Amino acid sequence: MTSLIGSNVVRSDGEDKVRGAAVYAMDFAEARTLHAQLLRSPIAAGRIRSIDTTRAAALPGVRAIVTAADVPSNTSGWILKDQPIFAREEVRFIGEPIAAVAADTPEQAAAAVAAIELDLEPLQALTDFDAALADGARLIHPDWESYAMLVPAPRDGNVAWESTLDKGDVDAAFAAAHIVVEDEFVTPRQHQSPIEPHAVAAHFEQGRYVVYSCTQYPFLCRDRLAEWLGVSPSAVRVIATTIGGGFGGKIDALLEPYVCVLARKTGRPVRLVNSRREELQTAGPRENARIRIRSAVSAEGEILAQESENLMDNGAYSGEIVACSSVPALIFGGTYRVPTARHRTRVVYTNTPPTAAYRGVSGPYCMFALEQHMDHIANELGIDRRDFRMQNVHQAGESTTNGQVLSDAIYPEAFARVDEIAPWAQATADQQAGPLRGVGIAAVTWLTNPGPGGATVKVNEDGTVTIVSAGAEIGTGAMVTGVRQIVAEELGVSIESVILAPTDTDTGTYDGGAQGSRTLFSVGNAAKMACENVREQLLETAAGLLEAAPEDLELVDGHVGVKGSPQARVPLAAVAQTALYTGGPISATGKHVTPPVPFDAGCMTGALFTGFTTASYHVHQAEVEVDPDTGKVTILRYVVAQDVGVAINPQQIEGQIHGGVLQGVGYALYEDLRVEDGVVLDGSLEHYRLPTAFEAPPIDIALLENPTPNGPFGAKGAAEPSILPVASVIASAVSQAIGKPIRSLPITPFEVLRALNDETESLAAAAPSPTR
Amino acid sequence: MDHTFTLNEQRVEVDAPALTPLMTVLRDELGMLGTKNGCAEGRCGACTVLVDGSPVVSCLTPVALVDGREVRTVEGLTAPDAPLNPLQQAMLDHGAVQCGACTPGILMSLTALLERESAPDEMDVRNALSGNICRCTGYHKIVDAALAVAGAENGSRS
Repeated sequence: MTSLIGSNVVRSDGEDKVRGAAVYAMDFAEARTLHAQLLRSPIAAGRIRSIDTTRAAALPGVRAIVTAADVPSNTSGWILKDQPIFAREEVRFIGEPIAAVAADTPEQAAAAVAAIELDLEPLQALTDFDAALADGARLIHPDWESYAMLVPAPRDGNVAWESTLDKGDVDAAFAAAHIVVEDEFVTPRQHQSPIEPHAVAAHFEQGRYVVYSCTQYPFLCRDRLAEWLGVSPSAVRVIATTIGGGFGGKIDALLEPYVCVLARKTGRPVRLVNSRREELQTAGPRENARIRIRSAVSAEGEILAQESENLMDNGAYSGEIVACSSVPALIFGGTYRVPTARHRTRVVYTNTPPTAAYRGVSGPYCMFALEQHMDHIANELGIDRRDFRMQNVHQAGESTTNGQVLSDAIYPEAFARVDEIAPWAQATADQQAGPLRGVGIAAVTWLTNPGPGGATVKVNEDGTVTIVSAGAEIGTGAMVTGVRQIVAEELGVSIESVILAPTDTDTGTYDGGAQGSRTLFSVGNAAKMACENVREQLLETAAGLLEAAPEDLELVDGHVGVKGSPQARVPLAAVAQTALYTGGPISATGKHVTPPVPFDAGCMTGALFTGFTTASYHVHQAEVEVDPDTGKVTILRYVVAQDVGVAINPQQIEGQIHGGVLQGVGYALYEDLRVEDGVVLDGSLEHYRLPTAFEAPPIDIALLENPTPNGPFGAKGAAEPSILPVASVIASAVSQAIGKPIRSLPITPFEVLRALNDETESLAAAAPSPTR
Repeated sequence: MDHTFTLNEQRVEVDAPALTPLMTVLRDELGMLGTKNGCAEGRCGACTVLVDGSPVVSCLTPVALVDGREVRTVEGLTAPDAPLNPLQQAMLDHGAVQCGACTPGILMSLTALLERESAPDEMDVRNALSGNICRCTGYHKIVDAALAVAGAENGSRS
């Protein structure tokens, strides 16, 4: 039998998806289901004087209206517990839920929402960094000191969270520098915009909340609901439906508490689906940020020290972004050698919609800033930009700024593979020959999320195998291809005979969620461990049937057979049936946790995210052409070299790279979720511009095998990282093409024309020297 | 108000106000959930269906406009108990489906193309997809799948 590892197995949920038969959360409804709608705050900041639901409650079809008065006063949060279910005394952003209605039809629910009488007293809205951080600024959360935290961190008023890294004598290094280079960058919000908006349904049964959601992380959803509703986590059951895309936006709970409260109140199932406008205007996007970075550089082109001061917009309440406040320090010291550094990142409350995780959390703009800064340094020194990176990039065994040893870094190979596909010397020559052409290159170290996972593997009485896990399939194929491939390979059965049970917190052991490329890695490890135990049970049972010692047996082709005797074998069905009355039904549960990565803990404060667990290494290169008349950027060629550990399903990984690169192209060139005075201007996909098939550049991919002993069959997480370098390499290429620095995203045609016509700006007059 | 049209080769009659979006009729009245409600504003293309063979966004198509016409949805591409059609199979074989929420609309846009053009090239395929947003795949494998089907139908190797 050929190995299933490395095979392009077709996804088991695929047939339903191409038939239109897959039921997503947006499609899901039980019998007697009521429809919910939310009354959301029309102003960015204000005090609630009164909410009168009398008139609304009397409208036809209305079954319940709930407000803060109907729910516990608990605040909840993943890391920093600052969110009420409904605004209680104050509203803090436009779109904040104030009341929820359940009615027989969506139209009746909408009519009731419109009939609720709301009296708000406006407060001064602090809608950007400067307003929120000004001396004497109003406190967005007057009770900020009372909020519980997962771990302690420096906080102060409108600074929701602060993270620092302090390593070595930074001032001495700057004093000794040959040159000091300094830059400032500003980046916008980017919306995940999955095709399926947030959608949930719930009913109340046997004293428990049963929730159907397109959640990426069912156990986080369970725990957040328990915290909000003031019940034990086991009083909440979360079942993941088919999920219509997430990209980080569906990790944290969002709409779930409203349907729980309404289902409890009405005794009926209740569903709630975001409109596209609600999705864009209230479902947390990637945060906008401002980065100030300076480097001390030697005459030989070594980075002696680095310093940064960074702001991330938390919005009005805290999601994952407070935990991402250490990302700048990790990115700045994780790819290129920076022995000495001082970084501070503040996550700032503003009266804007809360921000949230989006694929590559905070990494894409940190990389954008770092890599434009690297170009700036190279140009100042008159060094070729690729040579400068190769000179400074971490070699295997070197340490990041915070002391993590990158034992398996493979940057020389990654740079070389990109160069084989699209030679840098050729690209830089094209740049000088043609119209406005440019090339950019960048590298990044990234992680596989270390969250815990589990899987139960059962051998059924017909010889098929069932996997029970709470790992969510968000579309990457991690569960429906990868984990099934691992189990089929381990137990010597066909891929078709491996069945995946639905994702359910009642049946699966704890799982850390579909985030940070962890599902195949973690659930795959757990399933492999379970298979090792199952295998022992199978061999033990079959030993009696075959009159052979277990150690002489093997699992091949759906049978247990005697090694070297092809005729002496028994099908798994017979083994499973026999086991029922000998050793008992065959099943085992495996578990996985990633060991912590050693680092210099003394140099960081406020950091939940302290290193690159199961690190992977990436080099991207882009070539662009800019139209000098219209400012339009065309990506001529894009190259990815990605360390995947081992590719379990190369086709699925390519799909992740294609998708991640195009989301990065959107971030680089088009996507800008504009917020002005607290108003999200882009409430429609007409203005919020997602890339179409026309904008997908040609992409060459080199999958680099670099097996990790910690991953199933050597695999590392592979889905997330491809978005990280995209904006940075495109910005570098555009910058070279037009001879002007790029300091903000997205690089729209208007921005290109503005930069082209700006006589005061130019890149340092360094002629790129060809590579040796 | 009564409206009569053909849905996947079966005659259907619905009672709905004339301006009710076809998508709403399909999903809420007829239980045809394969047609996805991605944005309800004609931008994402997930609700694309064929009316007399041409792709339309059903969220912006009033049901009165399909009176007496032939409507096809993803459920009509092949019978529930029949094998997948070549395009559906190619989408899976090429890894062109991830979350799958855009897939029904993409299948309908590509079906219209393949019925209209005997030998579409890559630009024809990308043009056909211009009204469909896919946030997961970056489109390349979808284009490959469509070209493979087009090539196979031409008797050439894909």
